[in-house]
Amino acid sequence: MPATKPAPELSVLREPLREIGGEQVLAGLTSALSWLEANQQEINDLNVFPVPDGDTGSNMYLTLRSAVEEARDAPTPEAADSVLAAAAHGSLMGARGNSGVILSQILRGFAQGAAQRVHLDANGVALAITEASAVAYRAVMKPTEGTILTVVRDAAAAAAAAAGTTDDIRVVLDRVVTEAHAAVERTTEQLQVLRDANVVDAGGFGLAVILEGFARSVGDTQPTAPAPALLRRSGEPTLHLPPNPGDMEATGSAVARRGAAAIAPREQGWGYCTEFLINGPGLDVESIRTELSALGESALVVGDPDLVRVHIHTGDAAGVIAAASSRGRMSKLKVEDMSAQHHDVLMRADAEEAEAEAVGTAAQERPQAPPKPIGVASVAPGEGFRDIMSSLGADSIVSGGQTMNPSIEDLLNGVRAANAERVILLPNNGNVILTAEQVDPLAEGCEVRVVPTRNLPQGISALLAFDPAANLEENVERMQTAVAAVRAVEVTHAVRDSSVNGHDIKLGDVIAVVDDVITEVGDEYVGVIDAVLKAQTEKPELVTVYRGHEVSEEDAESLVEALRGSNPGVEFELQAGGQEHYPYVLSLE
Amino acid sequence: MSELIHLVTDSTADISPSDADALGVHVVPLIVRFGEQQFRDGVDIDADQFYTKLEHSDVHPTTSQPSPDAFATLYRTLLANPEDEVVGLHISAKLSGTLQSATLAAQEFDPARIHLVDTESVSGGLQLLVRAALDDIRAGDTAAVVAEKASRRRSKVTILVLLDTLTYLHRGGRIGRAQAFVGGLLNVKPLIAVRDGEVVPLARLRSRSKGIDMIVDQVRGCAPLRSLAEFHAAAAESMVDLEARLGAAFSNVTAVLGRIGPVVGAYSGPGGLGVACLGAD
Repeated sequence: MPATKPAPELSVLREPLREIGGEQVLAGLTSALSWLEANQQEINDLNVFPVPDGDTGSNMYLTLRSAVEEARDAPTPEAADSVLAAAAHGSLMGARGNSGVILSQILRGFAQGAAQRVHLDANGVALAITEASAVAYRAVMKPTEGTILTVVRDAAAAAAAAAGTTDDIRVVLDRVVTEAHAAVERTTEQLQVLRDANVVDAGGFGLAVILEGFARSVGDTQPTAPAPALLRRSGEPTLHLPPNPGDMEATGSAVARRGAAAIAPREQGWGYCTEFLINGPGLDVESIRTELSALGESALVVGDPDLVRVHIHTGDAAGVIAAASSRGRMSKLKVEDMSAQHHDVLMRADAEEAEAEAVGTAAQERPQAPPKPIGVASVAPGEGFRDIMSSLGADSIVSGGQTMNPSIEDLLNGVRAANAERVILLPNNGNVILTAEQVDPLAEGCEVRVVPTRNLPQGISALLAFDPAANLEENVERMQTAVAAVRAVEVTHAVRDSSVNGHDIKLGDVIAVVDDVITEVGDEYVGVIDAVLKAQTEKPELVTVYRGHEVSEEDAESLVEALRGSNPGVEFELQAGGQEHYPYVLSLE
Repeated sequence: MSELIHLVTDSTADISPSDADALGVHVVPLIVRFGEQQFRDGVDIDADQFYTKLEHSDVHPTTSQPSPDAFATLYRTLLANPEDEVVGLHISAKLSGTLQSATLAAQEFDPARIHLVDTESVSGGLQLLVRAALDDIRAGDTAAVVAEKASRRRSKVTILVLLDTLTYLHRGGRIGRAQAFVGGLLNVKPLIAVRDGEVVPLARLRSRSKGIDMIVDQVRGCAPLRSLAEFHAAAAESMVDLEARLGAAFSNVTAVLGRIGPVVGAYSGPGGLGVACLGAD
């Protein structure tokens, strides 16, 4: 691999920057977001497996976007710690996918490292990055080298070293960016899967992009003109300059809006998504929360005696506003008609699903009922899986899955919609588990346990094992046992040429992923699925075939007929799963 | 001639007529109806006829308890000798009004000589209690003691039924807490238990053999066993698997094999597989 060229010095011909406050931090974050947006697709494309995958770039972008939005509303805009604390909270609520969760932890650590500091000097910046690295490592149970974690750690080391030699924050950040990109390049050698696919780590690259965007504008109090041209680094994708740095309004709403479909449609309409701030001093957060929560659903009331941020879904926006205005001066009021919004999203997602407004879910049948002792919230893509899970007793369904990871806030809303004192959360996707694990501390008054289901068949097995009469521990145990007894086969098409596990894979090939491992490759479904079934050491008794959104019932039926013919003694059941990207998902039991 | 203790039960014990004769047990039939047609369980209709009819009938069968008169007539015959007594072991009062009819008849006749027990049980479970009570009678216990022992034993009975579908239980209004299992879009085999006289859900299984695994596990939890009963509703093939599995696990326990009769079958539906076990005293 060619030697890494040094990154262009950002600090040339500029006055030394010895101190940054809240405005400069916000400018840096805003710029980081623009950079991330411009490079989102490249990050998405750094896909280890040739399967449609969790979109790391989109996940990180949406997470940072949520951070920046909240940072803009920071209670003390001129204070670095205030802006960073707001960013950290925003990123936590908006975190999607594993990379989004880790990014939110990096921001949390950064904010912790900057706590009690209105201004940061070079040492302060280095300290904050070091804390960011430490917090991110702690958040991951088994830290792996060659990921975003390695990049943040190496960047922190560079920051600490640089801060020992200069008090110019730009110089420190130059070194951080240079080292981050170098660390990204090294990831290919650190992880076998990356080496096989000959790519750098997507999350690590995303972080380097964020750091670069931050570094380029952190000294500014206003978003600046386009950054200077960049050198292309050897292993990374070409970096794209943001079209218009700092212009938040131009950032892609299309991707962001997908999150709006996260909770299944409600029969009586969605009411109004109402957001505002209440300005103190002397606010009683707890009593505001109690009062407002009674007026709607999914109430999010956070803050301190000086500023409270409210986000609530209500049918009575006027009532909420009246109640809030008696507590303090309101600002940033935003009221949106969620039925219209949600309908729009559904229309965009799938014109045929526009009728979905009328489809019921378990959750909507008892919106105001007293909480049950124990409930289940489950993540599902597609109408079919959603209906099946509701029918099996899931109290609420959060839309999402492989390529549309729900945010922590989406999951939190799903947990609230389950309306229970204790909620079991089923992520049903490997890339949603970490996000799901962040929900419990945020769900006040509700104990949340995650049964780490990695795919939809596991989620269905877990739901089948649920016993409303048993307690939380018993249920978690039952579900875990049930999950271990099912094998999931996900069938899709290769999204690019590659070589994985000794399989030569061409774009468009049919691939079967068995419990997260690419096991069979071929040119048509029946052959590939048949090979998977034949390879099982223990012959399955029952195979449930969930057909995807793009597969017609007739095609699925003839596939199942063919499989029946070649697998005598195995029972087959066909269901409409409605999932995207995966024509067939099978569960082997 | 010394006094006799007559053991009376009802047709939900699923005792075949020949067994009833051999054991000397008196079985009062419940009624099963298909629309206007009415049959006495095990008298006018047997299991084979019932499941064939169930398959072809447009109407869902309903059932009803025996009339008090049916009990009164039997008691009159059995208690002709003023020294004799009756022990009546019946289906759970939460599932049927049978015991209600028996109680009315007993009050009319001679309550002191008729010892009625709500077994909180049904089918194979009820039958195991009947058979244990017969042992007590043979051992020389008085009617009051036989009834009392039966009451104490009911907590040692476990009844498990692996159903093909909850449809029949649901339609028949006997679903209890298994209501939570209704409405799934997936094909699942519900495993239910009869506990304290009521239907409770145990698990939803995706295949019959997983259900049998779970039954064997549950029965193991009841050991040491006094006796075991295995019953099926038009599911003779699966019954073979069940027998083999339980036979291997409990080779030293005598098992009563039988069929789920018309009245219970109206709730289990065809394909049901039941196991009852009675723990040692």
